[in-house]
Amino acid sequence: MSRFEDDLRTALRRKEPPPGFAERALARAAVERETLLERLLGLFRFPAVRWVCAAALLLMLLLGVRYQQARRARQEGEEARAKVLYALQVTGSKLQLVQQKLRQLEAERETQDSAEEDPATSGRKIL
Amino acid sequence: MKELARELSVPLPAEESAGWNDFASLVREHQAMVFSIGYHFLHDVSLAEELAQEVFLQLHRNLKSLKSPSHVKHWLRRVAGHRSIDFSRHRGSMPSVALDDVPEPAAAVVDGDPMLAGKLRKLVASLPPKARMVVILRYQEDLELEEIAAALGMPLGTVKSQLQRALATLREKAARSIGEVYP
Repeated sequence: MSRFEDDLRTALRRKEPPPGFAERALARAAVERETLLERLLGLFRFPAVRWVCAAALLLMLLLGVRYQQARRARQEGEEARAKVLYALQVTGSKLQLVQQKLRQLEAERETQDSAEEDPATSGRKIL
Repeated sequence: MKELARELSVPLPAEESAGWNDFASLVREHQAMVFSIGYHFLHDVSLAEELAQEVFLQLHRNLKSLKSPSHVKHWLRRVAGHRSIDFSRHRGSMPSVALDDVPEPAAAVVDGDPMLAGKLRKLVASLPPKARMVVILRYQEDLELEEIAAALGMPLGTVKSQLQRALATLREKAARSIGEVYP
């Protein structure tokens, strides 16, 4: 090692920081250690913050109630629609049954009519 | 034994290693190193203190991610080095106190000629930022070139050439301004 490097090493020897350095560093770290929650809670010291929070909570409550009402109305509407659809479906099937019955009766009547008409026709042919 | 174990990254016995990451102890143990890197680089006591405080605050934030005492030491050196370079970039806009205007910080006993040491420090301060940091890490921290390269994130070849150039410049300036002719 050269003399020059020795002199540099001596010149650049470590130095102690000014007194109280460690205490200041620890104090700064302690301030930062305060959690986010503690900082937020600390904000409640101010009346304005308390009022704003209360108003925000009230607003949220009102919006929640309004949302629930809207949801219930929509649900009721959907239930009513489903009921109407069911009723229509039932009515439709009943009508179909009635129609089927009518057709059946009509067919029977036609068969009877044709059976009644047959002897006369045959008699006339004989004559 | 504790110091040796730390240097070699050897885990200490449980009762000795307990609380190695205690922030207060780490500050007390490394304050001279971090402050001196800033002080030798910036040549300003208040800026060096500000820098060291910020480095320790950053350590406090990152303490959980550091795994061993030697890791902490390397981390502190690296962050102090980079922060010093960043500080010097913004120094133009900051009030600064000249080195001659402030008393020496509580300095360890300096062997040799204190005048010469002061002049050499001034010459080091006149070097370009990266070369200055290489010189500080080499002669203040006694780091090997590989360690300096790792700490500053520079290629080894660059560190070597920076150091050689810086030493040549310092020798030349020392001969001119101090009258010291180094072989």
